[in-house]
Amino acid sequence: MLRCEGLTRRFGDRVAVDGVSFSIGAGETYGLLGPNGAGKTTTIKMICGLLRANAGLIEVAGTRLDGHDVRVHARIGYVPQDLALYPDLTARENLAFFGRLYRLRGRLLKERTDEVLALVELSDRADERVESFSGGMQRRLNIGAALLHRPSLLVLDEPTAGVDPQSRHAILTSIEQFGASGMAILYTTHYMEEADRICNRVGIMDRGHLIAQGSRRELVAFVAEHDRVELTATGDREAFRDACLGIDGISAATLDGESLHLLAENGRKLLPAVLEAADRVGVAINSVEVVEPDLEAVFLHLTGTALRD
Amino acid sequence: MSLAWTIARKDLRQRLRDRSAIVLGFVAPLVIAGLMSFAFQGTEHFHFNLLVVDQDHGPVGAALMRGLSAAPIRDVLTVRSSTTDAAAAAVHARHAGAALVIPPNFSREAENGDSVSLRVLTSVDQELDGQVAQSIASSFAAQINADRLSVETALHSGAPAATTGTLVAKAEQLRLPEQVATESIGKHPLTAISYYAPGMAIFFVLFAVGFGSRSFFTERREGTLDRMTAAPISPIAILAGKALSVFVFATLSLATMAVVSSAVFGASWGPTPEAALICIAMALSVVSLTALVITLAHTERQAESMASIFVFGLALLGGNFVFVSAAPPVMRRLALLTPNGWALRGFTDLATSSGAGAAIEPIVAILGITLVLGAVAASLARRTVVQ
Repeated sequence: MLRCEGLTRRFGDRVAVDGVSFSIGAGETYGLLGPNGAGKTTTIKMICGLLRANAGLIEVAGTRLDGHDVRVHARIGYVPQDLALYPDLTARENLAFFGRLYRLRGRLLKERTDEVLALVELSDRADERVESFSGGMQRRLNIGAALLHRPSLLVLDEPTAGVDPQSRHAILTSIEQFGASGMAILYTTHYMEEADRICNRVGIMDRGHLIAQGSRRELVAFVAEHDRVELTATGDREAFRDACLGIDGISAATLDGESLHLLAENGRKLLPAVLEAADRVGVAINSVEVVEPDLEAVFLHLTGTALRD
Repeated sequence: MSLAWTIARKDLRQRLRDRSAIVLGFVAPLVIAGLMSFAFQGTEHFHFNLLVVDQDHGPVGAALMRGLSAAPIRDVLTVRSSTTDAAAAAVHARHAGAALVIPPNFSREAENGDSVSLRVLTSVDQELDGQVAQSIASSFAAQINADRLSVETALHSGAPAATTGTLVAKAEQLRLPEQVATESIGKHPLTAISYYAPGMAIFFVLFAVGFGSRSFFTERREGTLDRMTAAPISPIAILAGKALSVFVFATLSLATMAVVSSAVFGASWGPTPEAALICIAMALSVVSLTALVITLAHTERQAESMASIFVFGLALLGGNFVFVSAAPPVMRRLALLTPNGWALRGFTDLATSSGAGAAIEPIVAILGITLVLGAVAASLARRTVVQ
C-alpha cells in the first residue's frame, strides 16, 4: 500500500530525513519509533504531500506521489499531531467540512459523518462545539476526521500525545480495529509500549536515519541476551553512569533525569557489581528494575541513548 | 471551484460566529457614520444671527439694512438691530454669530469722501460666522467705493455739480459687475452622511485584512491548513477559498452599510450599478491586501500588527476620517495612491451626480492597485502554502 525509497529532505544545510526506505502492506500497522527530532514527522509530511522530498520515491497504492496530481491523496487519511479541528464549529460541522474536501456530498456525506461520529463515540455530542469537548474527545474526533473517506492508508502522527490513559487505550483499540479491517497504518510515536502493542513491524529512526526495522521479534534479536536495567538514584549520577560503563558486560548507560538506563548482558547477574559501583561513588539507589529485552533496549543498543532523551 | 467555495463557506460561518467580526464589519461602521453625520449636521445648511448696530441713521446704513434683507443673503442670515453693548454681549454669549457696527456720521463722511470704516464684532468661538460678517462688510465697503468713484468720475467729466444727488442715487442702483460665482460640477451638494457612510464602511471593511490574514495563520498554527493540504485539493484551491471568503465578507459588509445608511440616514451612494461595481473593486483590493499581509508576515502576531498598520495608514491617507478636499494638496495626491481613497472619491462623485462616467476612473484605479498588490503577493507566495 505504501512504498518509500530513499526519502530525503533537507532544511538548508540540515538533513532532516536521509535516505529512508520502508513499505507497508494492506492490513499492516507499521510504527515509526524515535525520539523527538528523529525525522518521523518530516517523513510523514512527505508521505502526505505536505512537504516535497528532495530525493526519493513515494508510492501509494501503486501511484507515485509527485506533488502535481493530488488525486492520490484521496487514498490517504492523515491524523496530524496537533488537534487540527475548528473549535468554533460543531463536531458534525468539522466532519462535514473535511468530508467535502474529499468530495463527499449529500446523503453519502451524512451517512459517513454519522458513521464516524458513532465510531469515535461522539454521536450524542455531534451538534456541540468542539471547544466544549475534553482533550480525549477532541483527539478521537481528530482521528475520526481522517476516516470519513475510508482511506487505504491511515497516517497517524503521535495521536496519543497528551491524552489520559483511558482515552489512550480507546484510541489504540480503535487503531487495532482499523488494522484488522485491512487498512494500512503508519503510526509514529516515541512511546515504545504503544509501538510494542499495536505495530506488526517497527522502524527505528534516529537523527534522520532509519537505523533498523522489522517485527518486534526481529528487532529484539538485535540485543540478543541484553537486558535493560532501570535504576533511580540520588547523588552524583554522572559519576555513577561512568562507573557503570566501566563494568564488564554493560554496553550502554544513559541518564534520563533521576533514572539511569543500562544495557547489560544478563542484567540480574551484574546487579551486585552495579550496587558496588554506586557505593563507591557515594550514590544511593532508590529503585532497580531488570527488564527483558524490548524495543527500548533495542534503541539503547543501536543509538547508545534512551528513546526519550 | 466547489472546493474553494467549501473553504470559503466554512470561513464565513466561523466569521459570522465571531462577534468581533460582526461588530467591525456591520455594526461599528453604521454607528460611527451615524454619529459623524449627526456631528456634522447643519454644516451643509449654514445660517447664523447677525446683529446690526446703526449709529449713523443715515442713507448708507439704510442701504446696508436693505441689502442684508435681500433674497440670497436672507437664507444665510437672520438680521436684527441692536445696540453696541447688547451686540457685544450677545456675540460673547453666542446668541449671535457676529455684529456689524455702522459708526455715527458714516453716511455724511462717505458722501464727503472721507475715510470711513465699518466695525465687525466677532468671537473666536464662531470663526466662520465672523468671516462671513467680515466678507459682507468688505463687499459693502467695495460697493460704496465703487459708487463714490463713479460719481467723482462723472463730476470730473463735466457733469454739473447740481446733479450730484441724482448721480449718487443712480450709482446706488448699480452693482459691481464682476462677481465670483462658485458652481459644483455635481448636480447635488454632498451631505455629511453621504461622505461618512462610505468613508466608515470602507474604513471598517479594511479590518477584513486582519481577519483574513489571522485566519490563515491560525489554521497553519492549529494544523488545519496541513489537513486541508493533505486532502485531494490543490494549494491554489485553498488560496482561492480563503480569498473568496474575504471577498464575500467585504462585499457583504459594504452592501449592508450602503443599504442601511441609505434607508436609515438618507445617505446617497449614487446609482446602484456603479456603486456596486465600486464595492466589488474595493472588496477585491481587500483580498489583495490580505494576500500581501499573509506573504509578508511570518506569524499570527506579525500579521495582526501589519494589518493594523495597513488599515490605519490607508484610512488616514485615503480620507476616511476627514474630508479629503480639506486636506493639503500633498495629502490629496497621496489619497489617490490608495484603493480606499479612490473608492471614496468614486462614491462622492456618484452621490453628487457628477456624470455617468464618474465611477469608471475610480474602478480602473482600484483594480490597478489591486493587480499591483496581488502581483507582489504572488511573487512572495511560494514560501506559504507550498513549501
